[in-house]
Amino acid sequence: MRPFVYQRASDAPSAIQNLATATAANNVLTEASAQPLAGGTTLIDLMKLDVMRPKAVVDINPLAASWSNVSLDDDNLRLGALARMSDVAANPEIQQHYPVIADTLKLAASPQLRNMASLGGNVLQRTRCSYFRDVSYHNCNKRNPGSGCAALEGFNRSHAVLGTSEQCIATYPGDFAQALMALDATVEITGRSGVRKIRFSDLHKRPGESPQAETTLSPGELISAFLIPGPWPRSVYLKVRDRQSYEFALASAAVALDLQDEVMRDARIALGGVAAVPWRAREAEAILKGQKFDDALIDRAADAAFADARPHRHNVFKVALGKRVISRALHQAATMEI
Amino acid sequence: MTNQKDFPAGPGFNRRTFIGAAAGTAVAPIVAKAAGASGGPAATSDPSLPVDVSLDINSATRSLRIDARTTLLDALREHTGLTGSKKGCDHGQCGACTVLINGRRVLSCLTLAVVAQGQRIVTIEGLAEDGELHPMQQAFVDQDAFQCGYCTPGQIMSGIACVREGHAGSDDAIREYMSGNICRCAAYPNIVAAVRQAARAMSDEQKG
Amino acid sequence: MSITAPEPKANMGQPIPRYDAAAKVTGKAQYAADVPLVNPAYACLVTSSIAKGRIDGFDMTAAKQVRGVIDIVTHENAEQLKEAKLFSNGGYAGTTIQPLKSADVAHTGQIVAVVVAETFEAAQQAAYAMKVNYTAAMPSATFDSAGTTSAPAKGQLAQFKEDPKVGDFAKAFNDAEIKVSAAYETPPQHHNPMELFATSCVWLGDSLTIYEPSQYVYGLKNGVAEQLGIDADKVRVINAYVGGAFGSKGSMTPRTAIIASIARRLGRPVKLVATRAQGFTIATFRAETRHEIQIGARRDGHLTALRHESWEVSSRPDPYAVGGTKTTTRLYACPNIESRVSIVRADRNTPGFMRSPPEVPYMFALESAMDELAVALNMDPVELRRVNDTAKEPISGKPYTSRSLMACYDQGARAFEWEKRSPQPKSMTEGDWLIGYGCATSCYPTQMAPAAARVRLQRDGRVRVEIAGQEIGNGAYTVIGQAAAEKLGVPVEKVSVFIGDSDLPPAPVAGGSNSTASTCSTVIKVCEQVRQKLFEALTSNESLTNEAKGTVGMGQTPSTPSASNDRPLDLERAFDALGVSVVEEYGEWKPEGAPMDSFQAMYKGQVRMVGGSEMKDKIAYAFGAEFVEVRVNKWTHEIRVPRLVGAFAAGHIMNPRTARSQLMGGLIWGMSSALHEATELDERYARYVNDNLADYLVPVNADVSDVDVILVAEQDDHINPAGVKGIGELGNVGTNAAVCNAIFHATGQRLRKLPVRLEKLEI
Repeated sequence: MRPFVYQRASDAPSAIQNLATATAANNVLTEASAQPLAGGTTLIDLMKLDVMRPKAVVDINPLAASWSNVSLDDDNLRLGALARMSDVAANPEIQQHYPVIADTLKLAASPQLRNMASLGGNVLQRTRCSYFRDVSYHNCNKRNPGSGCAALEGFNRSHAVLGTSEQCIATYPGDFAQALMALDATVEITGRSGVRKIRFSDLHKRPGESPQAETTLSPGELISAFLIPGPWPRSVYLKVRDRQSYEFALASAAVALDLQDEVMRDARIALGGVAAVPWRAREAEAILKGQKFDDALIDRAADAAFADARPHRHNVFKVALGKRVISRALHQAATMEI
Repeated sequence: MTNQKDFPAGPGFNRRTFIGAAAGTAVAPIVAKAAGASGGPAATSDPSLPVDVSLDINSATRSLRIDARTTLLDALREHTGLTGSKKGCDHGQCGACTVLINGRRVLSCLTLAVVAQGQRIVTIEGLAEDGELHPMQQAFVDQDAFQCGYCTPGQIMSGIACVREGHAGSDDAIREYMSGNICRCAAYPNIVAAVRQAARAMSDEQKG
Repeated sequence: MSITAPEPKANMGQPIPRYDAAAKVTGKAQYAADVPLVNPAYACLVTSSIAKGRIDGFDMTAAKQVRGVIDIVTHENAEQLKEAKLFSNGGYAGTTIQPLKSADVAHTGQIVAVVVAETFEAAQQAAYAMKVNYTAAMPSATFDSAGTTSAPAKGQLAQFKEDPKVGDFAKAFNDAEIKVSAAYETPPQHHNPMELFATSCVWLGDSLTIYEPSQYVYGLKNGVAEQLGIDADKVRVINAYVGGAFGSKGSMTPRTAIIASIARRLGRPVKLVATRAQGFTIATFRAETRHEIQIGARRDGHLTALRHESWEVSSRPDPYAVGGTKTTTRLYACPNIESRVSIVRADRNTPGFMRSPPEVPYMFALESAMDELAVALNMDPVELRRVNDTAKEPISGKPYTSRSLMACYDQGARAFEWEKRSPQPKSMTEGDWLIGYGCATSCYPTQMAPAAARVRLQRDGRVRVEIAGQEIGNGAYTVIGQAAAEKLGVPVEKVSVFIGDSDLPPAPVAGGSNSTASTCSTVIKVCEQVRQKLFEALTSNESLTNEAKGTVGMGQTPSTPSASNDRPLDLERAFDALGVSVVEEYGEWKPEGAPMDSFQAMYKGQVRMVGGSEMKDKIAYAFGAEFVEVRVNKWTHEIRVPRLVGAFAAGHIMNPRTARSQLMGGLIWGMSSALHEATELDERYARYVNDNLADYLVPVNADVSDVDVILVAEQDDHINPAGVKGIGELGNVGTNAAVCNAIFHATGQRLRKLPVRLEKLEI
């Protein structure tokens, strides 16, 4: 870990001021000279590995007083960005009205990590690509733009098959983000010039030619809340992994259905473990929407979701697995008691 | 330590109503001061200078002058002599460093000591009262819930939280909610038996 | 009594709680890195990112500028330490690759520099700031990589003595009614004990104290002394507790002498806690193996021909091999057997022993092939084992000292309800899950080695036992205490046990499952000396002679295998007769057949292990039968193991509680090995990719449900005074094959390459 100045924010404006002042670079996440610290489960981990090297760390936990509220009105769930994963997962109303959100939070990480990690930090958690996490590999376009990608021809079992580029095939590792993607969430961002809102699907950038730029946040901006329309009582998260618990997804699907008399008036599908960013399977949704729930149709939708998949040597299986995960998640959602 | 009020419930919410902040987060800002020659002014210009940090560990205040980068785990182990919390991975992958902060189980290896200021930290050394083992410790003895013992302090801290969170209602729940603590000796079935035993004892204690 | 503390059966001790339980649940148990040091400097390793080549130079500018950096040690300025000989060739070290000796790099993750600083944080920062310039050569990573070489193990490695062979395999196989030929593969694996590889070195004058988790304090003491060129009596290794080892802490790693040397040079204690990732390359691992098995059998299931050929990977300089054919060729009755083991050299760190070193890979191959044979014969796999059970090993006809294999199968099958298995693959389902039952044989050689102990008995019945054994989770404190208490007839609470310190009388490496047999046999012998002394004091008084025989029980010689004695010492009368308040005895014990130089070697930290298949006129193994239920999700192909049953017979069980726990852990280890554990190689760089606990998967609590351990009563009077067969490694031997056999039963797909991951299932 490199030395840093530790600053404890007393309020949002001061936190943002500190972050913005110290941050000159255009690369928000990797080389930013100031980083916000909430749960620390990504930041401290990557600082110890010398992957993240902030010159200042701004502790935003004191903002929890105003930024960790959870509230529900007629058509919107609002989750404060500093709410902790375990608290939101345990919330009975979220379990009832937004089960997919509770599931994604409950199936992530471990109880200790969920107690620490904030929702805002969780959606910004960084890839688990081994070559990204080990600075002794020079060839990582995410860390060293233009240096190449060690994973392309390396050990890439856990890597992505969707949304990748020739520059980077790292997987977005999170679970909660898939629920936000599926449910068309909005992100509330607080910056120097006040509050702005964007669609959650516009938060993460595909790697493309610049895998080092992971989000559309500007220096000094903080996620303050997530707004989720709903409710979506018929929604599930299916996460497949080698271990039964405490492991990142090999493939996962967040699914929400509006099912009336076996007709899918709306179908939402987001995929984890298989894509470079939080991933919405819109082609699959289009096939399902307005149609009667039917196995052949679901197979066709699952095929559509992976039509553009580009597997590599060790992750070929993710295409077939991802399709089956979509199918099983849809079946689970369709048959759940609500 | 066994006091229920140390363990806040997660936040509920009411429709159309905002309710209070998530538990476990401090509201009073405490700024770490860079320790100059005189312990002097809050000079944040040289980040490699040590800072003064005051920690509330097992109901005692510990004043330390440490590198701002020091994790809570290293602060406990290298600076306060509390070596019960163990380093198994230093990256949040094993659970051996689990401690309670404000009653919640967290990983001390991913917690900066400066961030833990002003919060109630409980480690394995803070459980036994007057030499009498905590019911979770006794249950680990009774059920042979360890072999090499290295992960044990973390398992016990996690087990106490697991019970207080209400996640010890069935063996399956215990298995899932004890999955953040790896035991390479694989004493898992015995750990489940121990948490089950302690859950009963802790609930009797509450009633008593 | 409870599930976790089973009722003792015949020839079993009491299931008392662990001696070290209170220390371990309160955080007071002091592991190596817990020992407080006065003004320590913190060391951090810098390791190579290339597998083969040379270091051209270092750029230390940034590292030296880090506040608090004291010293940076590289091959350019390090003390030249003496060479270390390989453990398995009669030395102490797990590798002969000595870092910081030259600019050469022999494997990735080799130590190329050590940064020492005032704080851990500064040392870590400076280590990352070190720039190392290399000239890299193309490495050979593993089997099939260009540039590897292969040669028979025999002749390369002192420990590998034979390629067992009997009869005429080629003819018998050719003539066989039923034939099975299959190839199997196991991956590299790392022990990953929870405790990291820590070393603290403290010099006081010319005396060195080392706090390091070791399975062999005497070996480490002597090995470090040899490397530093100092008298071994000046070196003391202390580790009251070891946080798991599984083989990884059995032989000396290069780090210890390096840290000792730096501490001497700085005149200050130095503390190193290597990172989890560094642990993958600065110590040993279980190397990948390949196997070809051919079995010929009659239609009634009797084996007529068996051939087992294997290949193992090792490093360039060190010919290490586990060589499990000594076990697989002797397990079943068969008149025609052939075998061969070869070593393939690659640019890797030197592998070493990991829990059940030969048996895990080799028995996976044999027991999978046996299941394939059962399928080919359309025969129940348990019955196939029964048909081929034997009281004599087939290579040279030596009798097993005891062999309860079929008793294990019968008791295990009953507990598992094996009879509910429908033999057809894919015939059992529940909802979305395909269910499979599988079984396999476990076995592990009974091994023993010389040891010494000091026992002090006081008039008030208090006992102090000193022996430099190691508590690695094996229950050493507990069973040593029990052995002394039983032999001296005192309550176990009165016994204090001191182990884990090389200033105590020597004990062998806590490896090869020899620890309990060796240390308890020794403690029993020294307790007998104590009794003898008291007895002689009483017998010198004529009038007491007859009564004395009754009260001190010395009429019983040799001691019973259980070491128990129903005639307690009348301590007060004996002590009064002797006119003292303390009796202390030091004694040495060596197993039958131990070589002449055993005791001299023991004090030099060299083990003369005997047992298993290498005894003169007999063969000694512990046996078990393992049963596994797997469930495979027919949609997602997730594989889960809801049930493991193991029945084991291992002579006298000192403590059913600790024994059950250790065997249970073994079963879960085996499941883990079958389904999860593989160290992934990036073959381009010969580097381990998943060198952390998030990516090197070991089971978590939720992966384990019902585990049933059955301790089968067995008595064996032909092995050692304690009557003990080792059990530390018995549990995880059969599980690999049992899991794959169950997966075959569930899915109809035979998986011959470990680990089994969901993508390998084509259902």
